Amino acid sequence: MNPSGRLLVTWLALASLTLAYLWIDHSRPRASAAVTVGVIVIALVKVRIIFREFMEVRRAPALLRRLTDVWMLILAASLLGCYFAGLAIR
Amino acid sequence: MTSAVTPRALPLRRRLLWHCRNNPKRELWLAWGTLVVFYNVFFPVFFVVTRVQPPPQPAWDLATQIQWFHERHLGIPLGFGIIFAIAGMTAVNNALIAYSMRRMSVSRAFGYSYLLIYSLSAVPGLLLLCIALIVGTLRPQRDPRLIGWLYDFAFLSFDGTMGVFLIGSLIWMLAILLDKNRVFPKWFGYLNLCNALTEVVVSPCWIFRRGVLAWNGQIAWWLDMVVFGVYTVAFIVMLFRMIQREDFGTGPLPARVA
Amino acid sequence: MRAGGRTVGEAGGDAPFVPGQPDMWAFVLFETLVFTGYFGFYLFYRARSPALFLHAQSQLDVRIGVVNTLVLLLSSWSVARCVQSSRAGASRAALRDVAVTVFFAVIFLGCKVAEWSRLVRAGHGPDSDDFFTYYFFLTGIHFVHLLIGFVALGVIVYRLRGAEARSPESQELVETCATYWHTVDFLWVLIFALLYVIR
Repeated sequence: MNPSGRLLVTWLALASLTLAYLWIDHSRPRASAAVTVGVIVIALVKVRIIFREFMEVRRAPALLRRLTDVWMLILAASLLGCYFAGLAIR
Repeated sequence: MTSAVTPRALPLRRRLLWHCRNNPKRELWLAWGTLVVFYNVFFPVFFVVTRVQPPPQPAWDLATQIQWFHERHLGIPLGFGIIFAIAGMTAVNNALIAYSMRRMSVSRAFGYSYLLIYSLSAVPGLLLLCIALIVGTLRPQRDPRLIGWLYDFAFLSFDGTMGVFLIGSLIWMLAILLDKNRVFPKWFGYLNLCNALTEVVVSPCWIFRRGVLAWNGQIAWWLDMVVFGVYTVAFIVMLFRMIQREDFGTGPLPARVA
Repeated sequence: MRAGGRTVGEAGGDAPFVPGQPDMWAFVLFETLVFTGYFGFYLFYRARSPALFLHAQSQLDVRIGVVNTLVLLLSSWSVARCVQSSRAGASRAALRDVAVTVFFAVIFLGCKVAEWSRLVRAGHGPDSDDFFTYYFFLTGIHFVHLLIGFVALGVIVYRLRGAEARSPESQELVETCATYWHTVDFLWVLIFALLYVIR
């Protein structure tokens, strides 16, 4: 696939993941850990796609690729950790 | 230049004496040493002697505030007496930073404006808190409402006026990014931006009396202190490296020499 | 690992390269950590008072958030195209791409300001409750990053229009500024998910 085609496909993937959020029922707000975790995971997937495709980490040296992946893990651990810590300590 | 004459074979004391008399960078090292001494006094005074940092809560009632002053009726005058004595060291600190900008290829206006801004910003950013809190501890039997006024005034002036440092950080950042003499690596310029942004984050403390954005809040104070700590260590190390590499020329600074 | 000195051409099998200055990457990773701190506090306190946060959050319209996100993703797409165009030496196309980026950014800006005024006028300002404190704080600090992004886009335009538009140094600067712009984008992706969508 040529590079600009690849960028377009990337945007379409990101847009679909964004629109997927509309499937969550927004009419009756109800706290849900499952929804929260799902939303956060989808957001992190989007961030990784942005890193890999838009920011060209896919073609970067191994150090940068691993660093950005480690950062994703730190994000995931911190976000989910803080959320569950808050749920536990009430 | 004079390294050929450096008396490596002499004992330590004689070598130090020789450097004090002959090393062309001795003023720079003296300035850097002043910087290190200042911060090594500043942090213990604020955190241990006076215990005014971490800051107390804005939401406390007057009785608790008076109790807070009472607990520090010796520590505050002692600690801030020391601060007043060494406050002049900030002039040397700022001069060293301005010197780094003079060494860059950018206009001298950067260094001069930094000096101006940081000289003035020590007033709201440091001295007002010291004066207000010392006044607060002087007469314990003062009207509680006046003590409350001093309490608010001290902490709002200290934490809330971060903005005066913001422009200074941005000036240094811009100078570093535009510089062609490679005095500092570009990441250090971006770190100045991070520092400037945390100063923006502190400014909501004018509005909030509780929560994460109050003057003692987890975001406005704790997280900001982490970034500020990283920044302070970074610029002390960066200035050290700059002095090591300094060749007193006007072109690009040479890379690290052994 | 230096970024400059690459020749044009997108054929697969290019040696790995760091897009833009590695220094900017250091900044990106550091800022991400700082924002992770902000998000962490938000999630912790939200989990402790779910009812309060839910109720306040219902004042937000998720569809506006979705539109904002799509617009900012489009701006990321166009700045990525700009990097590719400039890498191929097509300065005019690159300038057009960065103009498109600015266009989307201004739309985002306008939407944000409109949304803020609507909320404040409805009585949901930053000091109305804890959720809106976080809302205005996170969107506000993101807004500041976006404004700085305009400066980055301005640097891209300046370089592309300059005499040395095709030099490796210019290309590195264009990529550096694009990296910053993508950071503004992915931070918004996270902010949108955390403020508008999570329950």
